[in-house]
Amino acid sequence: MKFTLDWLKEYVDTGDLSPETLAEHLTMLGLEVDSVTPLFPELQALKTAKVLSVEAHPNADKLHLCEVAVGDETLSIVCGAPNVRENLVTAIALVGTVMPDGTKIKASKVRGIKSHGMLCSERELGLSDSHEGIMELPSDLDHGIPLLEALGIDDLLVEVDLTPNRPDCASVIGIAREVAGITRTPLTLPVDAATLVHSNHDFSVDVEDSEVCPRYAARLIKNVTIEPSPWWIRKRLLAIGLRPINNVVDITNLVMMEYGQPLHAFDYNKIAGKQIIVRHPKNNEKTFTTLDGEERTLERDMLMICDANEPIAVAGVMGGMNSEVSDNTTNILLESACFNAISIRRTARRLKLASEASYRFERGVDPGGCVTAMERAVSLLCEIAGGEAAQGGVDYYGGVRPLNSLKLRISKTSALLGIDLDYDKIADVLQSIGIRCKPKDDDTIWVNPPTFRIDIEREVDLVEEVARLIGFNNIPTSLPTVSLSYPEQDPIRLLRNQTANLLADMGFSEAINYSFVTEKHLSMMQLAEDDSRRAQVQLLNPLSEEQAVMRTMLLPGLLENLKRNINFQKNAVKIFEIGKVFTPQGENEQPVEKERLTCILSGLRAGEASSLYYSDDTVDIFDAKGMAELLLETLRLYGCGDDAIRFRTPEKNEAEVFSDSGQCLLLDSDKGIVGQLSRLLPETAKEFGIKQDVFFIDLDFELLSSLKAAAKNFQSLPVYPAIKRDIALLVPANTKAGDLLDTIRTSKEKFIEHCEIFDVYQGKPLDTGMKSVAVSVTYRSPTKTLTEKNVNKSHTKIINTLTSKFNGSLREG
Amino acid sequence: MEQELINLQAQAKDQLAAVENGGQLENFRIRFLGRKGQFSTIMKGLGKVSKEDKPRLGQMANSIKKEIEALYDEKQQTLSTSIGASSADEGTIDLTLPGRKPQTGKLHPVTQIMNEVCSIFESLGFSVAEGPDVEHDHYNFEALNIPAHHPARDMHDTFYVSDSILLRTHTSPMQARIMETQQPPLRVIAPGKVYRCDSDITHTPMFHQVEGFLVDRDVSFADLKGVLTIFTQKMFDKELELRFRPSFFPFTEPSAEVDIACVMCGGSGCRVCKRTGWLEILGAGMIDPEVFKMVGYNPEVYSGFAFGLGIERIAMLKYGIDDIRLYYENDLRFLSQF
Repeated sequence: MKFTLDWLKEYVDTGDLSPETLAEHLTMLGLEVDSVTPLFPELQALKTAKVLSVEAHPNADKLHLCEVAVGDETLSIVCGAPNVRENLVTAIALVGTVMPDGTKIKASKVRGIKSHGMLCSERELGLSDSHEGIMELPSDLDHGIPLLEALGIDDLLVEVDLTPNRPDCASVIGIAREVAGITRTPLTLPVDAATLVHSNHDFSVDVEDSEVCPRYAARLIKNVTIEPSPWWIRKRLLAIGLRPINNVVDITNLVMMEYGQPLHAFDYNKIAGKQIIVRHPKNNEKTFTTLDGEERTLERDMLMICDANEPIAVAGVMGGMNSEVSDNTTNILLESACFNAISIRRTARRLKLASEASYRFERGVDPGGCVTAMERAVSLLCEIAGGEAAQGGVDYYGGVRPLNSLKLRISKTSALLGIDLDYDKIADVLQSIGIRCKPKDDDTIWVNPPTFRIDIEREVDLVEEVARLIGFNNIPTSLPTVSLSYPEQDPIRLLRNQTANLLADMGFSEAINYSFVTEKHLSMMQLAEDDSRRAQVQLLNPLSEEQAVMRTMLLPGLLENLKRNINFQKNAVKIFEIGKVFTPQGENEQPVEKERLTCILSGLRAGEASSLYYSDDTVDIFDAKGMAELLLETLRLYGCGDDAIRFRTPEKNEAEVFSDSGQCLLLDSDKGIVGQLSRLLPETAKEFGIKQDVFFIDLDFELLSSLKAAAKNFQSLPVYPAIKRDIALLVPANTKAGDLLDTIRTSKEKFIEHCEIFDVYQGKPLDTGMKSVAVSVTYRSPTKTLTEKNVNKSHTKIINTLTSKFNGSLREG
Repeated sequence: MEQELINLQAQAKDQLAAVENGGQLENFRIRFLGRKGQFSTIMKGLGKVSKEDKPRLGQMANSIKKEIEALYDEKQQTLSTSIGASSADEGTIDLTLPGRKPQTGKLHPVTQIMNEVCSIFESLGFSVAEGPDVEHDHYNFEALNIPAHHPARDMHDTFYVSDSILLRTHTSPMQARIMETQQPPLRVIAPGKVYRCDSDITHTPMFHQVEGFLVDRDVSFADLKGVLTIFTQKMFDKELELRFRPSFFPFTEPSAEVDIACVMCGGSGCRVCKRTGWLEILGAGMIDPEVFKMVGYNPEVYSGFAFGLGIERIAMLKYGIDDIRLYYENDLRFLSQF
């Protein structure tokens, strides 16, 4: 909602409130002032000028050479306007002025004669389409004064961000009412209240459904002369960004902005049968041309204003070409109606047509104000367009509901707001904005809200009014008294926080990607045709193809993040995301939402750390495995006795299609496969424009959270020393180190506390096809100090078992 | 053996006395005390001495070694304290070299702020609940007193999946979901992702909100002010000026918007606060009786307040981030700053 301060002051005395204070008051009343700015800032530099003399240009027939007075200065100016003449007061752009279209006025030679500025037409100033000549200002105006002052538009534009519950404030008078509540001064309205003498002498009105059209008032105004509006109307409309059209249309717009009541003027002579019928379209009425020239497709439940034959307007949205006021119009039927908000909203949405009228009807127009606004317009039409109003008119109000009195409890109001109130205080603030009150009993007030406050329907709406008018900041601050309770913690949320913190400590940064992605990810990941992740939740109205479907996996988003970072020369990337993936169910059913955890690792192992201390090795599959192990160990799902998760190599078809199956491990559990870690196939990486090796860990986070973490059980610290023995085995190259360790761990030998691989070597001088694996075994007894002898026996047995089982031999020296 | 030990003792003492800098000291350590140094060699020789001599010689070797070690430590201290005084010499350690630090990552700024917001309310006894991102029209709108064709739907540019399924436009549906299944007293916050089909320099189509509500007997607007004042002051770390301004949400009545004095300019007016000196940081209000009726609570018995805030906006204000799109590009140069 836009208005100017001068305009507002027509209706209310703002006293000594500065514009800033006024804006502050409005904001604190819930009418948030977005901005207070000077009007037409682009015209600030223009001045008035008086033409002193006009001579013909020696080198051009159509140009004139003028001497112009601008205050104390006299300038020579070349002007081509036909209306330039001695003593004309007009607008001048002096040298250096930037015009609304951005051009800068320079002192330049026009056909050999120097011109020191430009005399301007209204179109050049953006004030109208008129370009027949330069502006003609009243001849008694001083020259050299700012043009804005001369035009009476040296004013401030106020923009209010209206909330949908306050349609009454979509009008300057509506704002004025709130201001009157602040300043406690009376309103001055052009027409305060009006009634209409009923007459259907000149036309009839039939409303088929009072539900969608509760009120319809109309009057005939004869013998109007269509011409441009006087300046005072045009300046009001221009100030708030409405384009003046002609006096009749401008008056309907002006009154709409004043009263908030949309009006429509039909050309009376074009109304067939002199009948107005408010109805839905008939079956054969499929299209309708609105006055913007667009052909609109009609639907059954739209509301139309029709004459005896056909629709002539889309009710509350826009008039039709067939009944439009034109330059030849002489008789006008002026409509002032109240339509059902939902009906108008639905129609405007479907026609994709939003107008100032539909904006107001959608939010609700005062059913009590139709005739008042109409009478204001009628008087202007008579005064300005030379019209003669026919006697009486039609005012149908079959759908207007009688106003209810509301009961407001003082105790309830006080309790809900947390402030002590009494009748006087409540009545004082409500009555300041025209809400009438009278006491019912000690605790109850009868309240009569005015018709324009369609948002006040319940007691609680009045409580809000009281709070708003007292001022939210005058309500005290307290803390609720509550009984103590323990807020239960969501285990998945706790695990998510723990995991995220762990991963961050392990060097991963957290990514958050959009939940909607491009469908292309599916083919980029080379998912099989029958992969369940190909079923995606589609958005009906996506912003772009890039964000058209809900994701079914996190990895593609992270790969795009990796690519972006590589583009910005960050090649060492460790990032993770914990987020939802979406699996569609039936139509009109919510999809299943599951959380996943995906990490990717790529580039230098040491990341950005100084190469002074760290090698420049890049990450490999063991980094991915190690990260997974560390995470799961910390979560006590692995490496803590009872392992809830086991790592294993995938069977055929178990690895992802985008995984390098030779470098892939599944994380298996009793409840199924929790996820996998792998090297990404270079082909897949290439789909994302990535040329370096990428490793990923991808887990079903909900399954992970359902696994039981190993309990923490204290083990007594060993009292007796351990003995460590190393074995260097020469085994065939395809022997799995893990199998060697498992063989040791599961052997029946006593005293084995721990075993680990400490070296793996392949290459010269070893035979091809063989590798050396060095294992260290730690022996310890809980009851005694082991002797060499105790250990030797076991150790020899282990060596024998290993060499025979794995076809190996003990490596010498 | 014994003589060897005595010779070694003397030799070591002599050499140690002659040491003048760290390099020489290190050479000394390697020669005498290192793993392959002379003491180690002698100790290994102990295995070959007769059983009777072993304890005695062992003890002797040990005490000599300890003595040399103590002298070595003493020398080391003398040298290091004199470094400051001596001119820089090759053996000193250049402490201007960078430290050797493990690489760690960072949580996303949205997560960091989200955690901070949640922990403030958890400390006030609120529990945390999370709901679905893809929501029924009913919970997103109807149950919150926003029927079809309500102008308030204009405030929510909604992504639809089907006629009745949509991406939630706020976290408020959790109000209805929780009240439907639980009885007051309730103190809950609901963090999560929300979606609006709007994208420009100040809007991303996905962002994060935290919804909160408290329902009990005799909860007042003054209580709402109290709780949100605590939150705001904890969140922004200072005794920040705060104002409550009337606004409109269909599911609260009265409704308020909460502004804080601009953290950028301190209230004098700047680009961030659009010269008003105030920054809007949350929406709130007393839960509308219609919402209570829809979940079967008696509005004559219970009252409550609800509030909602945008995480990205708070992060922008706290960290001075000026382009909201940065949040979802996951550029490490951005992520590593927080």
